[in-house]
Amino acid sequence: MNTLLKLNDVHTYIGQYHILQGVNFEAMEGQVSVLLGRNGAGKTTTLKTIMGLTPASKGEVEFRSHSIKKSPTYKVAKLGIGYVPENQGIFADLTVEENMKVAMRKEDTATLERQNYVLELFPDLKKFWKKAGGHLSGGQKQMLSMARAFINDSKLMLIDEPSKGLAPIVVEKVMEAIVEMKKQTSIILVEQNFIMASRIGDTYTLIDDGRTVHSGKMQDLIHHEELKRKYLGIG
Amino acid sequence: MKNKLSLKYVGFFLMLAILVLLPFVNDSRTLIILLTQIFIFGILAMSYDILLGYTGIVSFGHAMFFGIGAYTSAVMLKQLEPTLSTFLISIVVGILLAGFISFLVGLLTLRLKSHFFAMLTLAFSGLFLVVAEKWRSVTYGNDGFTFRAPEIFRDRMTFYFFVLACLVVIFLALYRFVNSPTGRILIAVRENEQRTKSLGYNTLHYKVIASIVAGTVASLAGSLYAVSLRFVNTSVMTMDITLDALLMTIIGGVGTLVGPLLGSAVIEYAQHALSGLARDYPIFERWIIFFGILYILAVIFFPKGIIGSLRLMFWKWRLKHKEKDQTSVGPSQEKERFE
Amino acid sequence: MELFVNLVINGLATGMLIFLLAAGLTLIFGLMDVLNFAHGGLFVWGAYAGIFTYVFTESFLIGIVGAVLTGALLGLITEKLIITPVYGNHIQQILITLGLMLVLQELIKVVFGPNGVAVKTPSYLTGSWEIGDVIIIKYRVFIIVVGFIIFGIFQYMLKKTKIGLVVRAGVQDKEMAQALGIHIKRVFLYVFMVGAALAALSGMLMAPYSGVIYAEMGMEYAILGFIVVVIGGMGSFSGSLLAAILVGLAGSFMAYYVPVLSLAVNMILMAVVLIFRPQGLFAMRKERST
Repeated sequence: MNTLLKLNDVHTYIGQYHILQGVNFEAMEGQVSVLLGRNGAGKTTTLKTIMGLTPASKGEVEFRSHSIKKSPTYKVAKLGIGYVPENQGIFADLTVEENMKVAMRKEDTATLERQNYVLELFPDLKKFWKKAGGHLSGGQKQMLSMARAFINDSKLMLIDEPSKGLAPIVVEKVMEAIVEMKKQTSIILVEQNFIMASRIGDTYTLIDDGRTVHSGKMQDLIHHEELKRKYLGIG
Repeated sequence: MKNKLSLKYVGFFLMLAILVLLPFVNDSRTLIILLTQIFIFGILAMSYDILLGYTGIVSFGHAMFFGIGAYTSAVMLKQLEPTLSTFLISIVVGILLAGFISFLVGLLTLRLKSHFFAMLTLAFSGLFLVVAEKWRSVTYGNDGFTFRAPEIFRDRMTFYFFVLACLVVIFLALYRFVNSPTGRILIAVRENEQRTKSLGYNTLHYKVIASIVAGTVASLAGSLYAVSLRFVNTSVMTMDITLDALLMTIIGGVGTLVGPLLGSAVIEYAQHALSGLARDYPIFERWIIFFGILYILAVIFFPKGIIGSLRLMFWKWRLKHKEKDQTSVGPSQEKERFE
Repeated sequence: MELFVNLVINGLATGMLIFLLAAGLTLIFGLMDVLNFAHGGLFVWGAYAGIFTYVFTESFLIGIVGAVLTGALLGLITEKLIITPVYGNHIQQILITLGLMLVLQELIKVVFGPNGVAVKTPSYLTGSWEIGDVIIIKYRVFIIVVGFIIFGIFQYMLKKTKIGLVVRAGVQDKEMAQALGIHIKRVFLYVFMVGAALAALSGMLMAPYSGVIYAEMGMEYAILGFIVVVIGGMGSFSGSLLAAILVGLAGSFMAYYVPVLSLAVNMILMAVVLIFRPQGLFAMRKERST
């Protein structure tokens, strides 16, 4: 299995705050790699560093063996990395259709097919095609955000806390969608909801205080009471 | 640390001595008048620095307060006996008026963010200009009016010393102000308003204080200006005045108090020298373009102006030569002058 | 009756000119978070460059083209040399664009002389029509028509084209737009150039309307532009049209009935909006924290 994305001893500053103080992380092709950790540990910042929104000051960030550490955000996106931020980033005054359209880099058959595929996955989006993004429910926004990230033949999708604030039944749908999408792309997932994370994740990386403290197969973590208690406050 | 402080004192007294003795050495009328103008605009520029350099507020309406001072003194000297006491009272009245208006305007506008605040001060200043133009019965509109200055100021030298005294007093007062706890909070607001707020300070309150201090000092400058010309018209309320203050502060060095004085000297002198040249070589008529470009370059490359950049160089030199001096407050803490 | 019609047409015409000026300003602010205090400089350069081209080629149309090209070129230079170096720092932006305004204004005097220049409307637009017993000035109607056409074109582009979509998305959330692969800095440049071209066009059309052009007119009209941007809402294109019409009409009626207030009424309007509803009457974006 190939390493798709690799972070090596990454440090990131936001202003004068030293948020990431040595993050090591590897995401494999075709897998769901989960970033776990407490609030404020640095998980979201890690995703933002990958995207170039908060660039790394030290360390290596490599996508398919090419360094993207100094790449501007739009170039990172064009390389095939899709981003689903914590607040979904929906353009509120644009319709669902327009949100999808603005995300599309090419309007060729392949992209349109992917759009159909994703609309099958999230039928609600088809139903509210002409509705303004700002009027969608939380769950629908989440779906739209994922659909947008998926539509450009993304090799890798970064998804930040998709289950946050959603009703359990919606969380189920979101999880199913991620499992579906995994067939065509690779996913890095940030999740606080451990139950969800453990069900769909293949590998995990535990982050605490901006540093990687542990990583491995998700199967192993599920039974590791001590780690769960210490870094996730579970059990 | 002690070395630097003594250097400051020495510099200050040296400068003061030079300025006091100068008219006795060289009593050229032009020079005296030029220096007086430099002092007056120096006071104005310092007041602007309180807003821009120390609190981080960009105001486009500063001319308002300058104009209030100028018109108050002019009107009082015209309507009442042109004596020294009238003048001094007019200064106080101007300061009170300016203080009141800067308080009101500040309260209304300072809660807005930088862009909006700038536009609103632009609008208010425009409003005041219109009022000055239309209220002909008092201001005589665009034409303005002349008036007699107090007897004692007929002699340019006496006026020179009076203005110099004002400058010194204001400088020392403002110096103490910016180094006081209140002044420190203003600097904190400039650096990061959100954080200062979250520390529990009512930043609006402090910004209004800065506004009042700046407005009142500007009014004093206006009063002095009117008497120096013995004439006043709507030009004291125009954008040009605000721009002058802005240029002087930026080029001289924001947030340094001394910078604006230097800026005033540079610009007033240039204005004087280049206007002379302009008679022979028309290109110099538009000398202000040169300053505009200098200003733009300053904002991009030398946001700290002449004084600030010199200070930075001084600190860098010091850090290199005095590695052992661990207690010095270095440039890293003075870094971001703007936001 | 005639009075009323003329006041309305006058107001609409002035409103359209301010709209052209404000439209660029509001898009630039909405997208880039930059308040371009040099916009008035683009306006006055458009006027002078356009008029001199018109006089030189004896074609009003070519004059307009000249104005627009000048505006776009100045916009390009400004964005690259002035705006980009200080991007992200509001205070530096405000200071530097004001400095540029000063330089642009003084450069007019250097290049074209310090005195005002008288301007005449082209022959086919001079004069008026008589409808019933109402006399309507042709040039004013021309301005109103041009204004609406431009508005229509831009509305179409904003709503129906990809680039318009990209601009609207960028106004909402530029970070997310970048995360979707959009080269937002290039979009900034285009929007700035277009905004500058619009300002220049406004200056060019204004010239025959007011009969004279002079260096200081840039700043004077820029203030009106800011007022409209504030009232209409930062970043709202249609908001700026509505606000511009409002301001134009208010000024027109005030100038006739209460002339003393005419200059003041718009400033008071802006002050009121800023104090009570700073996001404008037709705002499109949530207020940001700086």
